[in-house]
Amino acid sequence: MIPPALPLLTSRERDEARRLVEAQGLSYEACDDVVGIYEQGRLVATAGRAGEVLKLFAIDEAHQGGQTLGRLLDALTALARADGRGVLLVFTRPGQASSFAAYNFRLLASGSEAALLEHGGGLEAYLARHAGLRRPGANGAVVVNGNPFTLGHLHLVETAASRVSTLYLFVVREDRSVFPFEARLAMAKAATSHLPNVVVLDTSRYAVSAATFPSYFLRRTDRAARAQMEVDATLFAAHVAPAFSIERRLVGEEPHCATTAAYNAVLADVLPSHGITLEVVPRLADAAGAISASRVRSALQRADLEGASRLVPEATAAFLRSSGGEAVARRLAQGAEPGCESQRG
Amino acid sequence: MAITRKASAGTMQSSDLVVEIEPSPTIEIEIESTVKKQFEHLIRRRIETVLARHGVTGARVRVSDRGALDYAIEARVETALRRATQ
Repeated sequence: MIPPALPLLTSRERDEARRLVEAQGLSYEACDDVVGIYEQGRLVATAGRAGEVLKLFAIDEAHQGGQTLGRLLDALTALARADGRGVLLVFTRPGQASSFAAYNFRLLASGSEAALLEHGGGLEAYLARHAGLRRPGANGAVVVNGNPFTLGHLHLVETAASRVSTLYLFVVREDRSVFPFEARLAMAKAATSHLPNVVVLDTSRYAVSAATFPSYFLRRTDRAARAQMEVDATLFAAHVAPAFSIERRLVGEEPHCATTAAYNAVLADVLPSHGITLEVVPRLADAAGAISASRVRSALQRADLEGASRLVPEATAAFLRSSGGEAVARRLAQGAEPGCESQRG
Repeated sequence: MAITRKASAGTMQSSDLVVEIEPSPTIEIEIESTVKKQFEHLIRRRIETVLARHGVTGARVRVSDRGALDYAIEARVETALRRATQ
């Protein structure tokens, strides 16, 4: 009988968890909760939770199979419930997906090196919540972080909207950018309100999120990041696009940011096999080069509100002048990195 | 019996289930099960029976089942109910 998994709280216990995780060829990452199973004083299984994402599953070879995974999930789901999380996601290797499926985790997307599964019916709930936004026709999609929403984003959205019946403008929900999600959503809505065939909605956790694509926020382009991009693209193509009759995804050309360029390349690989076309739209530029959100943030960091305002539509300029905008400028001036994530397609 | 707060009971072990109950104006039951295709209707009926027995007319019940038998379903739902009405 396998004993229950318990929270690992001390640094000594967490070091043991790190060693077990690393012994399995995985990299250890910070978590809200780490749980583990001890047998005769030795840690034989561990796993962690960061928000609604379960990860770091590592079970020593002799204890694989049987009840061990269930024990880890029991402990993690109880902690997640106590934290108010109704939906849980697991990012794992494709070969492990069936083990989680036996615990009622549903496979959302599988790439060549990673798979994403969900417990709690979050995707169905998300699609049902937005069912009223469904429009027939040959529709398109643009996904932006909009940190903040620039004239470059507007150019991409206007170009895309002219090519499709309805354009869905997805704003990344994940709140890890210097402009808060609510502000980014409001700017995108206000800046595109003159376009009658544009529908603005949030991505929830189903595109460019801590679950699908954490590297986006870490600006990584390594193999692990590519595996995440593949899962992100597959989830969009297999579940989100069909729900809204999306046949085309449009992205801005990416000359500067390696992460975004790599993401565009993965989209170009993955989408066509699901019958979705990727269209790359040249960037809007001024004398100084392509207009990007990172240029706006750099200007704000230099306290150049006027320079920043020249690169954005009036809706964004109004936010920059507001107290919310001043708070963002202060955070940037205090050293929050302007970063390169700019015009996500 | 009125549901006053969120509560749960059960485990994710084989032949068991996790039941989560929270307040709701109507009865809503969501079932995830490894044997959903064959037994969803029977699991639902069993949950409805326990709720009716306790006079519950409003509750959101979410179940993640791994092939639990009837007595386990009854016991877990009843435990979650008691915790949700304390």
